[in-house]
Amino acid sequence: MKRFEHINAKSVDEAAAILKAGNTSLIAGGTDILGAMRFEILPDYPEILVNLKTIPDLDYIKEEGGILKIGALTRLEDIAKSDLVKSKYTALADAAHHTASPHIREMGTIGGNICQLTRCWYFRLPDNRFDCVRKGGKKCYAMMGENRYHSIFGAVKGCVAVNPSDTAPALVALNAKIKTNKRTIETEQFWDMVKPGSTILEKDEIVTEIQVPTPPKGVISSFIKFAIRKSIDFPIVNCAAMIGKGEARICLNAVHNKPYRCINAEDMIRGKSINESNADSTGAAAIEKAKTLPGDRNKWKIQLARTMVKRAILGCA
Amino acid sequence: MAFASGGEAQAQEKGNLTPADATSTNTQSGCREPIELTVNGGRYRFHVEPNWTLRQLLRDEIGLTSPKDWCGGMGACGSCTVIMNGRPVLSCLTLAVECNGAVIETAEGIAKVKHPIIDSYIKWNAFQCGYCTPGFVTTAKALLDRNPNPTEADVRDALGGNLCRCGTYQQHPKAVVDAAQVLKGVKS
Repeated sequence: MKRFEHINAKSVDEAAAILKAGNTSLIAGGTDILGAMRFEILPDYPEILVNLKTIPDLDYIKEEGGILKIGALTRLEDIAKSDLVKSKYTALADAAHHTASPHIREMGTIGGNICQLTRCWYFRLPDNRFDCVRKGGKKCYAMMGENRYHSIFGAVKGCVAVNPSDTAPALVALNAKIKTNKRTIETEQFWDMVKPGSTILEKDEIVTEIQVPTPPKGVISSFIKFAIRKSIDFPIVNCAAMIGKGEARICLNAVHNKPYRCINAEDMIRGKSINESNADSTGAAAIEKAKTLPGDRNKWKIQLARTMVKRAILGCA
Repeated sequence: MAFASGGEAQAQEKGNLTPADATSTNTQSGCREPIELTVNGGRYRFHVEPNWTLRQLLRDEIGLTSPKDWCGGMGACGSCTVIMNGRPVLSCLTLAVECNGAVIETAEGIAKVKHPIIDSYIKWNAFQCGYCTPGFVTTAKALLDRNPNPTEADVRDALGGNLCRCGTYQQHPKAVVDAAQVLKGVKS
C-alpha cells in the first residue's frame, strides 16, 4: 500500500473537521477501503485516513422508545448474533448474517456496509484502469461490455453498476432512518450515484446511528440472497420484505444503482393473504419495469429478481 | 478457559528492523506511530508506518510466518486469520497502527500452549499441503473459545471464510468437534 497519514479520531466532530480538508477518507472496519487503496482503484489516493474506531460509544445495539438504535461502528457479526435483532428485526439479522465471510463480519461495520463502494469490475480494476462515469469520466464500460451482473432497471447518471450491500435492502424494507452528524436521512434518499461513492453523504458527514422503528406485532420481515457461493460472495440479487397488518415494504438490491423499492409489488400484496400464487404474481409485478442491458447478458437476473421477491414474501408468511 | 493465551508470558522489547517490503524503500519521511501490543503472550513495542498491515508486522517484524498471503490482501481466503481481542480477523485488512493495546494470537501461540485443536487436526488429517491450515486453526480456536459445544454445522458456518485448495473441507468439522470434546474432557 502507498503511504498515507493516519489519525485516530477521538470524537465525531474531530473526524468531521479532518474530513473537510482536502484529500481524506475515513476508515471504520477497513474491509472495503483498504482493498480500494491497495489496488489503487480510485483516481485519488487519500492522503489522510481518519480512524473512527477510536471514537467511544459508537458500538451499541439498544431499543429506546419503540426504535432499535444501532451504532454505526457495530460489527455485522454482533448484529447477526443479537437476540434482540433476531427476534423483531429478522430481515436485518439475516442480512447481516448473510454478508461476506465470518471474518469480514467480525471486522466490517453496519455503517461501512451501507456506504461501501460498488463492485463493478470495470470500476474495481486495479490502478484505476477504466476512467468510467463513476470516476468522473465520460463512458460506462459495462453498458456495452461485460455486464452480466449489472443493473436490470437501467442506468443512473449513465452508470449501470449495482449497490452490493446486503443490509441496505433490509433497512429499506424495515423503514429505517440513518442518522449522521448533520441530519437524519430516510433510507429512500440515502443512496445515489455520487462520484465515486454510492451515498449522498457530504464530504464531512459521518454515519453515526441506524434507527429502525419496531415493527408492530404480527408484522414479519424476511431477507433472502442469491449468490453462487452462499454468503461469502457479493449478492447477485437479494431481497428483503416486511409484510403484515396492512403494511408491505419490499426492496431488491444488487439490481440497480441503489436499493430498488418495488412499489407496484407492495401495492399488490398489501392487505392480502400470503400464498404461493399471490407471491408469484407480486414477483411478476416487481420486475414489470425491468429491462436488460445491451447484449442481454444480464437477462437471467430478471427471472432471479422475480423469484427472490416471491421467496422473500413467502418468508413473511 | 483452560487454554487462554498467555503461556509463559515474557515482557519483551524489540526495536524495529527494516521490513523486507517495497514500501520501506519509499524515501518520504515517514511518520512512525508508537504502538504496544501483546502477541502470543509476549509484549511488544513498535514504531510502525501507517500503511503497514498487521500481517506485515507479524511476519516481517516478529517473524511469525503463520499468517499467509494467498489472495493478495483482498480478504477473500482467510489464510491470514489471527485472533485479535477474541475475534478471528483478517490480518491483511487490519492496519498495524490500529492495533495499539490489542491482544493477538497466531497459530504459533496456539501450538505453544499445546491446544488440542493441533492434535485433532493431525489425527483427522484436516490438512494436506498445510498452507491454509494456520488460518483454519486460528478460526477454529476462536470458535471453541466462544462455543465449547459446536455442532458440525456451527463449525462449517464459522470456517466459511477460509479457503483450502486441497479440498480437505470434509475433515475440518470432524477435527474441531473432536477438539471440543477433548477440551471438555470427554475424550483424551
